[in-house]
Amino acid sequence: MDALNGWWDDFFWSSVVVVEVFVVALILTVLFGLIGAGAKLSGNRAALSIANGYTIVFRGTPEILVLLLIYFGSAITLTAIAQVFDPEIKFLDLPPFWAGSFAIALIVGSYATETFRGAFLGVDPGQVEAARALGLSNFKTFIYVRIPAMWRLALPPFGNHMLSLIKDTALISIIGLEETLFIAAQATATTGKPFTMFIMVGAIYLSLSTIITLSVVVLEKYANRHLEVAR
Amino acid sequence: MSYRDQANIIQLENVDKFFGEFQALKNITLSVKKGERIVVCGPSGSGKSTLIRCINRLEEHNSGKIVVNGHELTSDVKDIDAVRSEVGMVFQSFNLFPHLTIVKNLMLAPRLVRKSSKSEAYDIAMQYLERVKIPEQADKYPSQLSGGQQQRVAIARALCMNPLVMLFDEPTSALDPEMISEVLDVMTDLAEEGMTMIVVTHEMGFARKVADLVVFMDQGEIVESNPPGEFFDNPTNERTKLFLSQILTH
Amino acid sequence: MSFDLALILDSIPKMLWGIGLTLELLFVSGALGLALAIVLLIMRISGRWYLSAPTMAYIYIFRGTPILVQIFIIYHGLPQFEFIKDSIFWPILREPYGCAILALTLNTGAYVSEILRGGVLGVDRGLKEAGAALGLSTTDRFIYITSPIAIRLALPAYSNDVISLMKSTALVSTITLLDMMGIARTIVAETYAPYEIFISLMVIYLIITWGIQRTFGWIEKRMSRHVRSEA
Repeated sequence: MDALNGWWDDFFWSSVVVVEVFVVALILTVLFGLIGAGAKLSGNRAALSIANGYTIVFRGTPEILVLLLIYFGSAITLTAIAQVFDPEIKFLDLPPFWAGSFAIALIVGSYATETFRGAFLGVDPGQVEAARALGLSNFKTFIYVRIPAMWRLALPPFGNHMLSLIKDTALISIIGLEETLFIAAQATATTGKPFTMFIMVGAIYLSLSTIITLSVVVLEKYANRHLEVAR
Repeated sequence: MSYRDQANIIQLENVDKFFGEFQALKNITLSVKKGERIVVCGPSGSGKSTLIRCINRLEEHNSGKIVVNGHELTSDVKDIDAVRSEVGMVFQSFNLFPHLTIVKNLMLAPRLVRKSSKSEAYDIAMQYLERVKIPEQADKYPSQLSGGQQQRVAIARALCMNPLVMLFDEPTSALDPEMISEVLDVMTDLAEEGMTMIVVTHEMGFARKVADLVVFMDQGEIVESNPPGEFFDNPTNERTKLFLSQILTH
Repeated sequence: MSFDLALILDSIPKMLWGIGLTLELLFVSGALGLALAIVLLIMRISGRWYLSAPTMAYIYIFRGTPILVQIFIIYHGLPQFEFIKDSIFWPILREPYGCAILALTLNTGAYVSEILRGGVLGVDRGLKEAGAALGLSTTDRFIYITSPIAIRLALPAYSNDVISLMKSTALVSTITLLDMMGIARTIVAETYAPYEIFISLMVIYLIITWGIQRTFGWIEKRMSRHVRSEA
């Protein structure tokens, strides 16, 4: 345990990095998921095909492959573009933080697409009819009736997506993001205590996933508070 | 009436049953003689289903004594198994095993519990399928049968274990009206052949025709119990009268 | 930036060299994981706290931490301990292959046992009561009534987990194993052609995913033939 001395700081700040990635990726995931679900539900054949392609590709490909493809692919492209302007540039990459967040958001976003699509389809059509009959516009119905009903249905599976996001962050260490696993690898090199260090990483991720799970429980209770009354 | 001279096949004495704070059965005492047909009726929540479910230990009674054919029902697994092999039950929602064909549904318990051979079990199964008048459905799956047919299969399945007593928990409540009579006919035949039965039901026509005793339960107590003639024509208790007026007017 | 077709054609066979390892990892970990999952399930639903509590803790830990961290703990971490090196398991734990199988098995076992539990919980209570009323013992009820129905209910979720397991096998490339991902990374390091290599590899993985989905689709159809009513 003393091996950890001197490393507490690093583990703390690297955990902050994990949380930062989570927040960015979460926003992107919701975005990709809503766009994907929207495309699939729109009735537009082209949009549907693209969305289906998106879902199939990113649900069937290993996460690490997606990550490496996006990171190294974008690096090659960016370097090539930069060299047009300045031939001195040897290597230009997307910071691992952004490449990684984007990559894992793309992946989890493909699962979120299905979740949101299912949740939208699960909205009681009767409620929508009632809203329209009352004179609410399409847009108002969407915001005030569909979305509240939808996120109630989407919450449990989306909780799982959030867990996936936070765990996938560990993969980004492979392209040099200085999150906890990366720090642990460095710490191992100096202290020679790999087990201690990696268990520490495990403990950090376990704590973070626990926080997420508890938050989801609280959110679910809040979302369903109106259902408690009728017994 | 000859059955009065025979021993009690089921005896409940001072039985209480609680679900948490709620008391579902209050001091129930009831005897059932061999060959006797008892109909139990009452409003929802009166405890009638709980009563028969205690008899085969699907629910555990909290105090009092339940004796079935000489075996007292305790937490001892041996007692429970002994009782269940002599008591057959038919459920409101049929509960046929969806992954087995009709004949396999009937053969399962005889093979596993009575250790019958495949061919013995098959013969017994076909015999009872004929008895409930649907032998041609033997190789179909439950999902392919109508509700009335499924319930008749459920009755046959219980009969394959050669029970001494048959318990029916609202057997026709989940059926479309046109299928109720086919099931009641099977139950009537069974009664006429001398099967001891306790039937929880709202079918008062059946009660009048078949029952030796009608038991009215309300809020966990047995309020009144009489042979059908007296029960329907001369109810003594106010609650019984109220219940009868509610269910017999339409 | 060009799209090097010749490179693709040259690299695909090289990557397919690794497919044996990928599939081996998938089948061995899958089978062992399933066996472990069944054991965990029985412990979990046994009703005895000293069996179900440790099981719940195990599942919680393995589902709450990234699989990459689990792999690192086993491969890099365990050698920290002398007693591990002296034990009879050392020949297995010394090799990346053994560590990979162990990590994947322990991980998928946790997920699959929850999936199986979901199936068991989905079995209609009335069916179990009918079995009890007929006199069937608890064990017989579990084997002849609950299990067949639970398996059919769990199949969709299980097939998803098998796909996840397949994707996780790519992570063994981080502990020096040369599965398809490992070979691909070596080629990219030499040729600086991430697009060509990684996209081709993606296609290969998608084909495998498709194969898994077709197989499970066929199994599901066969198991559900009695559920569709022909009335």
